[in-house]
Amino acid sequence: MTTEARSARAGLRAIPGLVLSLAAVVAAACATGSSSATSPAEPEKVVRIGIQPIAQTDPALISSDSEVLIANQVYDYLIDIDESNRLAARLATDWSVSPDGLEYTFDLAQGVTFHDGSAFTARDVVWTFDRLRDPASGYPTADLYSGITDIRAVDDHQVTFTLLKTNPFFLFDLADNHALVLKADTAFPDRGFNGTGPYRVVEYVPPDRIVMEANTDYFAGAPQLDGLEITFFADTSSAVEALQGGQLDFIMGLSTPQYDSLTQADGVQTQIVDTNGFVAVRLRTDRSPGNDPRVIQALNLATDRQSLFEVVRRGYGSVGASSPIGPVYTDYFDPSASPPPRDPQAARALLEEAGYKEVLKLDMYMLNTGDYPDLGAALKAQWAEAGIDVSLQLVPEGVYYGEGKWLDVDLGITGWAHRPYPQFYLDVMLVCGAKWNESHFCDPEFDRLAGLAGSTSDLQTRASAYRQIQQILVDRGPLIVPYFFAQFGATSERVQGLKLKPFPGRTDFRNVSLAP
Amino acid sequence: MSASQGGRSRFRQAVAILFQQRSSAIGTSITLIFVLAALFGPVVAPYGLNQQLTSATFQPPSLAHWFGTDQLGRDVFSRVLLGARDILAFAGVGTLLAIILGATIGLFSGYTGGVVDEIIMRAFDGLLALPAMLLALLLLASLASSDLSVIIVLVVVYTPIVARVVRSVVLSVKELAYVRAARLQGEGLGWILYRAILPATYPALAVEGALRFSYAIFLIASLGFLGIGFQPPSDNWGMMVSDARQLTSAAPWALYFPAAAIAVVVVGVNLLADGLKRIAQTPPDPRS
Repeated sequence: MTTEARSARAGLRAIPGLVLSLAAVVAAACATGSSSATSPAEPEKVVRIGIQPIAQTDPALISSDSEVLIANQVYDYLIDIDESNRLAARLATDWSVSPDGLEYTFDLAQGVTFHDGSAFTARDVVWTFDRLRDPASGYPTADLYSGITDIRAVDDHQVTFTLLKTNPFFLFDLADNHALVLKADTAFPDRGFNGTGPYRVVEYVPPDRIVMEANTDYFAGAPQLDGLEITFFADTSSAVEALQGGQLDFIMGLSTPQYDSLTQADGVQTQIVDTNGFVAVRLRTDRSPGNDPRVIQALNLATDRQSLFEVVRRGYGSVGASSPIGPVYTDYFDPSASPPPRDPQAARALLEEAGYKEVLKLDMYMLNTGDYPDLGAALKAQWAEAGIDVSLQLVPEGVYYGEGKWLDVDLGITGWAHRPYPQFYLDVMLVCGAKWNESHFCDPEFDRLAGLAGSTSDLQTRASAYRQIQQILVDRGPLIVPYFFAQFGATSERVQGLKLKPFPGRTDFRNVSLAP
Repeated sequence: MSASQGGRSRFRQAVAILFQQRSSAIGTSITLIFVLAALFGPVVAPYGLNQQLTSATFQPPSLAHWFGTDQLGRDVFSRVLLGARDILAFAGVGTLLAIILGATIGLFSGYTGGVVDEIIMRAFDGLLALPAMLLALLLLASLASSDLSVIIVLVVVYTPIVARVVRSVVLSVKELAYVRAARLQGEGLGWILYRAILPATYPALAVEGALRFSYAIFLIASLGFLGIGFQPPSDNWGMMVSDARQLTSAAPWALYFPAAAIAVVVVGVNLLADGLKRIAQTPPDPRS
């Protein structure tokens, strides 16, 4: 007899025993039920989360909302960012900056332990950030932290960062999504999940689910929940159904129609938060037809941003203009830097002047997901009135970004995620020669102002530079920003204290509780 | 009786058979309605394909918008009506080319036999081993997104199936006396294939053509649903369904009408195929 056959027989023989055991369990449960009036069994307070599947678990490599959400529960940031884009203490309880702005000293929380029981010290911070800034590592943070010249542990609970030049946004940089503190000398950061965070991983079954239990020794106080049960949904529509069916407690990354439909659903609480995430319709400026300034002016005149905002985003978020600096940045946003109102006839005249007598034909590339198809169709209809014939080219993410199409094509629509401060966008997408300067925009005055804003520690000087930058982008910039979008999430009725963050993956579950 | 009179009589007989049974009468009527929509849709559609009434998004069906409006304020009735032309034209041209090519290959392969037949049939076995959708996706991944690519996909997917059907008829016909007589008379290969054998395959080809046509409609709609081979703002019904998937609570009509169009036309063509099958199985009226 084969092993399989033997085990099958054994299994069959075990059935009567199992039935008896089950009966015993049921009887015991009934007995418990009868005495429940005296000692009720406390149900487990577990929040069930539905998110997109993840590919990365190493904090240095995570990027999607789902990956960040998981890492953010297991590990801790030195400094966090709250739902209003303000800095918040986490492992660093306090910090100070030297008068020359080059040395930052952080006091670390005491009595913190990793999930394996070992103590957290300044050495772990030094090791983590040395790893993230290593130019040979190829990590996305190597550029971000290239301005750090030294990281030193003063003692077990104090660490000092020294910078090459002043960086007014350095504290925000330390709160970057990847900057989760690992145990020093972790050999395999993609496995083990040994963090100091509020939840510890109990079970990870890729690509199905990850189960976490509360870290009762958490230094800032044990979470109010017993755990998190995270299930991966490749299709957000299925997650929406599961939430409505009572199988999930939290979902995020909803589309506008999904959010709209959930606002009217029973037993569901919706969450919305304004962000600086935006889509940029951008034209390459270094070759025809975009090297003629009249063409981008004509596109601007042919565009009705308010209508795009209302139709495509259904009025959630805010209307855009020509710059990546949105209303969320209250210190820097300039509402007066707005493009001229829509005038398709003036746009047509400009194009005729530029030599496009009949029609200007353009291929417009964008992703084939989310709101892009609707935005493309709406723009196509608006621009057609100005004699611009756009052929929409919807491509998968792997083609648009993976094959570098977005950096090459003449006309494209690119989405940019929310950042807690605006300098990032200028440095990577608009400064002459920047690595993601997809419009190949190059303007010495713009570069000077962006350099000034990115180095001055004086808020007024920086705000003034940003306002001038917004006007330059209205006058001669390569971008049309139709809108800044809001992020949507939803919870079941029993979830309390959850605040969706502008980067939804950073949503915190430390103070979330369940209604009794 | 002249040949043309015989043809007219046979046509009348075929129409009578189609409308004799309720199912094929319904199928024929549905197909005719959609063909009329394809022919006259652009003339009678009240709005354009991408014409957006931004102040009238998510309007439920009404006298002004029979099928309501979608998230961009586009008239769903106009879009469904305009979609009939493309989907029927693509499916029709693709199926016709597959029938012509498949019949030619099937005739040649079946009649020639031997190694040539083996090689062709094994190659087709290879193609048929892949599900039609998978084969279509593989082809479209390597072709530029265009109307021609979609036609090529239909031809590649359906030619082997048609060729197999025709070959099986050829195998049973090629040894019949009249074909042997034609051979002995020294008729050329072309004459034997197209004049002697091909007419024997017409009944099978008619049924196969109608079936492939309905599958082609479904395949085109499925490709549109997946967003492959078509670019928005497309009038592909499958793409409309895909776009409207997230609108099930806000604008269910934007989902249901194009989905119903796909279902109804596919059912209609299938019922018509049943009727064609009965025509093929009915011997010509001896009075004609």
